[in-house]
Amino acid sequence: MAGSISPWGGRSAGRDTPLAQASMPALARGQLHEIHAQGADWAAALAFALAMGEKAPDGAIFALRTPRRHRLPMVFSGDGLALLGIRPDRLTIVEAGNEKDMLRAGLEAARCGGVGTVLMESEGRFADYDLTASRRLVLAAEASRACLLLLRGDAEPRSSGAQTRWSIRCAPSQAWEAEAPGWPAVDAELLRYRGGPAGGRWRLMWDEDDGRFRDAARPQTVPGAVVPLSRLRTGADGDARRQVA
Amino acid sequence: MPGDRSPEPSAPEAFALVARVGNALRLAAVDRLALAQGLAAGMTLADARARCPALVTVPADPDADARALDRLLEGMRRFTPMVALDPPDGLVLDISGCDHLFGGEDALADAARRQAGFASRHGFGPNAMAARALARHGSAGAEVPMLPVAALDLDEGALAALRRAGLRTIGDLARRPMGMIAARFGEQAVTRLRQIMGEAPSPIAPRRPQAPIRADARFPEPIARTDDMMDVIEHLLAQVARQMEARRLGGRRFVVQLVRSDGARQGLMIETGQPVRDPAAVLRLLRERIDTMADPLDPGFGFDSVHLAVPWTEALVERQPTLQGEAQARGEADVIALIDRLGIRLGPDRVRRLEPCDRHLPEMAQHLVPAARASTLDWPMDKDQPPRPLLLFDPPQSVDVIAGVPDGPPQRFRWRGALHEVRLAEGPERIAAEWWRRREGHQPGGAGRTRDYYRIEDGDGRRYWMFRHGLFGQETDIHWYLHGLFA
Repeated sequence: MAGSISPWGGRSAGRDTPLAQASMPALARGQLHEIHAQGADWAAALAFALAMGEKAPDGAIFALRTPRRHRLPMVFSGDGLALLGIRPDRLTIVEAGNEKDMLRAGLEAARCGGVGTVLMESEGRFADYDLTASRRLVLAAEASRACLLLLRGDAEPRSSGAQTRWSIRCAPSQAWEAEAPGWPAVDAELLRYRGGPAGGRWRLMWDEDDGRFRDAARPQTVPGAVVPLSRLRTGADGDARRQVA
Repeated sequence: MPGDRSPEPSAPEAFALVARVGNALRLAAVDRLALAQGLAAGMTLADARARCPALVTVPADPDADARALDRLLEGMRRFTPMVALDPPDGLVLDISGCDHLFGGEDALADAARRQAGFASRHGFGPNAMAARALARHGSAGAEVPMLPVAALDLDEGALAALRRAGLRTIGDLARRPMGMIAARFGEQAVTRLRQIMGEAPSPIAPRRPQAPIRADARFPEPIARTDDMMDVIEHLLAQVARQMEARRLGGRRFVVQLVRSDGARQGLMIETGQPVRDPAAVLRLLRERIDTMADPLDPGFGFDSVHLAVPWTEALVERQPTLQGEAQARGEADVIALIDRLGIRLGPDRVRRLEPCDRHLPEMAQHLVPAARASTLDWPMDKDQPPRPLLLFDPPQSVDVIAGVPDGPPQRFRWRGALHEVRLAEGPERIAAEWWRRREGHQPGGAGRTRDYYRIEDGDGRRYWMFRHGLFGQETDIHWYLHGLFA
């Protein structure tokens, strides 16, 4: 799996420099982002969404969900959120009765001034989420500068007004001493990017110092202007990187 | 009429309330039976037990007593509008012009004591100080001049000086020149004496009942359209907002009652997370409530009148908006309003926040509380704690595990029909059961099972939090559970 990862976009994109292509588009504020994941990768998708979504420093986070049908009974853990740099007291968890209610509540939260991030968890077909609904969300986000994140579990991608669409999987972590599992690692695939090339794949490693995910193929010591030599290196095996015990 | 409150209806055994004074437990109050056995308030508990081994004691609770006295005061409004508190255990009722309604002073006193339900004493006087002194220090049929000088409520030194001078009753004192009393026993003695004798005024500060915050509208013709109704309610909300502004209050609960022309009544009730008085905000919540009602408002032949009440209010002071951080403060207010709206539409239990709990077991260490009632506690961060998963299973999921050695980490496990090979594992992190919460927890085997938590990663790179429920050698049937997912 690690061999298929390349920082290059799937399609070549004309005048863009290789570096610009290789850098990952941000989950910008004032936009809608879709994140697809399988049920078993749900924690990775949530971590990706919460950690990569740009947020206002003190903005509230609204996590909306519907009663689960197939998904396992899961709750956020405050300690786990704190490890990702999210203050658990900023998080409000909303359980809507059905998907329509969730969309409506999400739209209302997106319009609200003090809300920094709106995270919606959906699974399956999500019939109420169509082009119109997504466009509405985008307009609300543009007005309030909130970061809208829609998690879609076990679902087919559908055309929408989203800025980016991702597919997230868990990735093997870089082991700590004594064969212990390391910091979170995810494989992110950019399925769609409005105004840019899609198809990029990145392996993201949690960087404890920065408190955010970092491209595993780009060591942090290399200045941004230099094309990283390690970009063709696969996985995280070769890098002499800080080991956290 | 000061009432001397005895704590409990007299039990067969002597009874006393005990409070800690300094380093000693002392009796705070005693009942009649204990009094007969020679006990008195202020005595140490050890002394009291020596005299009366069967003494039943209960810790004194002055706050509860004060609340009970408050309730009593509200009840006494039945007899006169002028009721004042005489702490810690008395009430003063001004019954001028009220007694004939109840058949005279004595009948009124009997009725009041019956209503109070406590063992109590009462006294009548031409002024509040005299009545108070008669009730607290007089016996039946006593007159003010016959009262002991203790009725002046002076400090111990002044009282001792009065007794040494041979002045035992108020009457003794009143016959001396005032100037001399002031010179020898202090200005306060004269003031109190003159108040008791009725020569100086002794005003009471009656507690006035707070007018309830409410507004009504009655229509000459019934109104049938809901939109018109909302206009009327908005007008009423503006009225109660003015009332609340004058008292610096904000409403936490608003109740609207719509009375139909055929006599049927319909009620709407909303609660807010923060005190509010902005009519527009309340109206938005009311519309939300109407939208979510199972059966919509049915005007029938129209509504006759509307009543709006605010039964639950809290202090709300107008704050001057600051230039710095204004946007953030407005954002906070917006978020609170959003939580209120969602809480009304989806139900308050559907909009929740995480709150930390000081417990050991991971599923107990946090709980979800309705966001409107959540406190803003800082999340406790323990740097030495091993990483915790982002998602917790509630309840933990049972898995089949093959471990290399009985106490070792799992090597492979089967969960939901799929076999997972363990690539990396860390552990165990041992979390013991909370034996101190169990009745027999300190006994061997009474505490509940110990959990050994492992952080593991399978061949696909997924990270799990897994625990073995029970220790080898102590329990026979040992199960494994999946408790969380790491990112």
